Amino acid sequence: MLDFEYLEPTTVEEACTLLQSYGDEAVLMSGGAAVTMWISQRLLAPEAIISLAKIPNFDYVRFSEKDGLTIGAGARHRDIEMSPLVRQHYPLLYETFSKVAQPRIRYMATIGGNLCTGDPATDPGTSLMALDAEVTLTSTEGKRVLSLEEFFVDYYQTALKQGEVLTEVRVPPPAEWAGWSRIKFTPRTEEDFATVGVSVALKVRSGECEDIRLALNSVAPVIVRAHRAEEVLRGKRVTDELVNEAGEVAATEVEPTDDMRGSADYKRHLVKVLVPRAMRQALERIDG
Amino acid sequence: MKRRIELTVNGQDYEIEVEPSKLLLHALREEIGLTGTKEGCSIGVCGACSVMVDGRLTSSCLTLAIANDGKSITTIEGMVADGELDPLQQAFIDYGGSQCGFCTPGQIVAAKALLEANPHPSEDEVREWMSGNLCRCTGYYKILESVMAVVKQHEGVKG
Ligand SMILES: Cc1cc2nc3c(=O)[nH]c(=O)nc-3n(C[C@H](O)[C@H](O)[C@H](O)COP(=O)(O)OP(=O)(O)OC[C@H]3O[C@@H](n4cnc5c(N)ncnc54)[C@H](O)[C@@H]3O)c2cc1C
Ligand code: FES
Ligand code: FES
Repeated sequence: MLDFEYLEPTTVEEACTLLQSYGDEAVLMSGGAAVTMWISQRLLAPEAIISLAKIPNFDYVRFSEKDGLTIGAGARHRDIEMSPLVRQHYPLLYETFSKVAQPRIRYMATIGGNLCTGDPATDPGTSLMALDAEVTLTSTEGKRVLSLEEFFVDYYQTALKQGEVLTEVRVPPPAEWAGWSRIKFTPRTEEDFATVGVSVALKVRSGECEDIRLALNSVAPVIVRAHRAEEVLRGKRVTDELVNEAGEVAATEVEPTDDMRGSADYKRHLVKVLVPRAMRQALERIDG
Repeated sequence: MKRRIELTVNGQDYEIEVEPSKLLLHALREEIGLTGTKEGCSIGVCGACSVMVDGRLTSSCLTLAIANDGKSITTIEGMVADGELDPLQQAFIDYGGSQCGFCTPGQIVAAKALLEANPHPSEDEVREWMSGNLCRCTGYYKILESVMAVVKQHEGVKG
């Protein structure tokens, strides 16, 4: 019988101290959707589970014009989806969170747990990356703030060091990112993981693309930003040809693999098709 | 080592001792003896193990019993009030929403959670919400019809 201690700190400091003292032997648990499954499947056999669920005010969703959106790591997907602030100021995030799995998982799983799994097939990190979000990692030593590009290191691997807890996600003020689009391509069933996911945020002034951020999931060992595809548009007058070219370039920046959701070739083809489609949707939103 | 936890299940208080790795699903079925909640996939996909925890729809296969100490759980057995079936249960009977019955407890608990959050969902909202509950028998249409029948009953009392 698998046995472990179940610890329920009530402050972040206490969680960090416990994590520090148990080292490798402890596993953090937030919503527990992933950790519980790993335990059932015997992929994990920790000496201790440190639950973050009893930390008060760890699930806030706040907004200010100056700082943008700040989300406590313990906020569940459903809390974020249902937040009127998110709906009003970050429609891209609303669209993204409301299409993660199905409501049952969204009620259970937290944003901290999602990002810290480091699964390249997940959705929130993609749109958060397109919106230039950053994460705060806290330990007994203090805090550090990383961009999501720095945070996602490799397949199921993040920049979290031993003893660190992800405590907050911050998304800059949205005002200028008027154009956005999210395409989660799920040919099998509505609530599936994406075969390919595309998130784009766009700033356009009088027909010229001032800035663009394009991120994709399910196409590489990590959620990726397609920097070269962004360069195709940045600073240019947006034309249909350029948008198509950005799709072609993005397809050279991804490294998909064959799996039950499609072959590598198919996914690369989807990138070519979906990136221009997402950009057109984003442009339409600016015009409309 | 076993730990003592308290659960309120369908309004009744229980004190049970569980191994830390015991799933809420297995605690409900094996310790408390409520076997209406079913185990299908064990990985959060099929919805057969759906229960409500403090009103939130939950996969009881994805949460440890000890993580639910002190919480209030609603299972399919809690749908019956004073011997009367819940309108959803009656609709599943009337509209053929249940065949072999294995997925049915999860379907009904999920639909109940939806109607508690939103008594007047559109058909599309019902479809989207219920996408997390798999059924190998009915072809889904009859499930949709069953839930929509109750939504229509609510329409009479819209206000
Ligand atoms: C059926 C199903 C369908 C799914 N579909 C989708 C989908 O469509 N799109 C999608 O994006 N995701 C999907 N997921 C993944 C799901 O979003 C993640 O499993 C979930 O977000 C994990 O969150 P949690 O709070 O339950 O994490 P937990 O299980 O508590 O933790 C997960 C990992 O993160 C670590 N961790 C948790 N919190 C912190 C923290 N604050 N600091 C440091 N480390 C931490 C844990 O140690 C563990 O390694 C699906 C999952 C299931 C089961
Ligand atoms: S058994 Fe829990 S979701 Fe399938
Ligand atoms: S009625 Fe048999 S699985 Fe749904």
